[in-house]
Amino acid sequence: MFIITCPFCGERDQSEFSAGGEAHIVRPKQPTELSDDEWADFLFMRKNIKGVQFERWNHAHGCRKWFNVIRDTSNDKIHAVYKMGEKPPSD
Amino acid sequence: MLNINYPKIEKKDYPNLELNLVEPIHKLNLRGKSRDFFTKAGRILSIMLPPEPNTSATIKSISALWLSPDEWMVYGKDIEKNLMLSLDSEISKLNLGSVTDVSDQWVLINMRGKNVFEVLSKGSSFDFNQFKNNKNVVVQTLLNHVDVILHHNDINNVDLFVRKSFSEHLWLWINDSSSFL
Repeated sequence: MFIITCPFCGERDQSEFSAGGEAHIVRPKQPTELSDDEWADFLFMRKNIKGVQFERWNHAHGCRKWFNVIRDTSNDKIHAVYKMGEKPPSD
Repeated sequence: MLNINYPKIEKKDYPNLELNLVEPIHKLNLRGKSRDFFTKAGRILSIMLPPEPNTSATIKSISALWLSPDEWMVYGKDIEKNLMLSLDSEISKLNLGSVTDVSDQWVLINMRGKNVFEVLSKGSSFDFNQFKNNKNVVVQTLLNHVDVILHHNDINNVDLFVRKSFSEHLWLWINDSSSFL
């Protein structure tokens, strides 16, 4: 269990949130031109690294807004939280 | 079909805690972002929708609760049909935002007394330490795994909104928890 700071509501327990997987995966501009392998790569393949990862989270039991989190998956330390559409902090 | 007799909730008293069903009461869900939406909603309701997160505004018997950056709940006994029609014609029909009557979707339970936050803390991970010292604050959280909206409208006086289908279960849990006070 850990605390996540929702950019809209503030600090809340993790149980109020749902994880939405890896962030910043860009949808291909021309999906019809992709091979099956490239499309499968876009749909299913995720880095799933042990360490600092960029993730999407949803405050499902609060404001119901999506936002981005930079989280270390090895110890659940959250390095930054930022809104959708914003660029990740540089440090 | 909607069962108007559900949930069966009767007033209960516990040490320093009073539980009461506050129904029927009108509840509206307002969603919008534009400046026109804010202006029209404010003019029709005679209340400014609070832009600050986790806050509320109350004028007379109508309260507006912040739910998200573009969503509010407005509730009160003085919400008349004319007011709802005005919101519908001046906001919904002009596509400035959405207005939904959620009176039958949410059940309002009023909790008052010194032990309100003792009971709420038993089933919620939310930190009530600051919340209980401030009036007109709102939080959407989980209480005994059930989604609730809590409006602290006066010190030790909380309006709790719960979805109708979960209301009886939560009511039984609140009573069970209160019996150990």
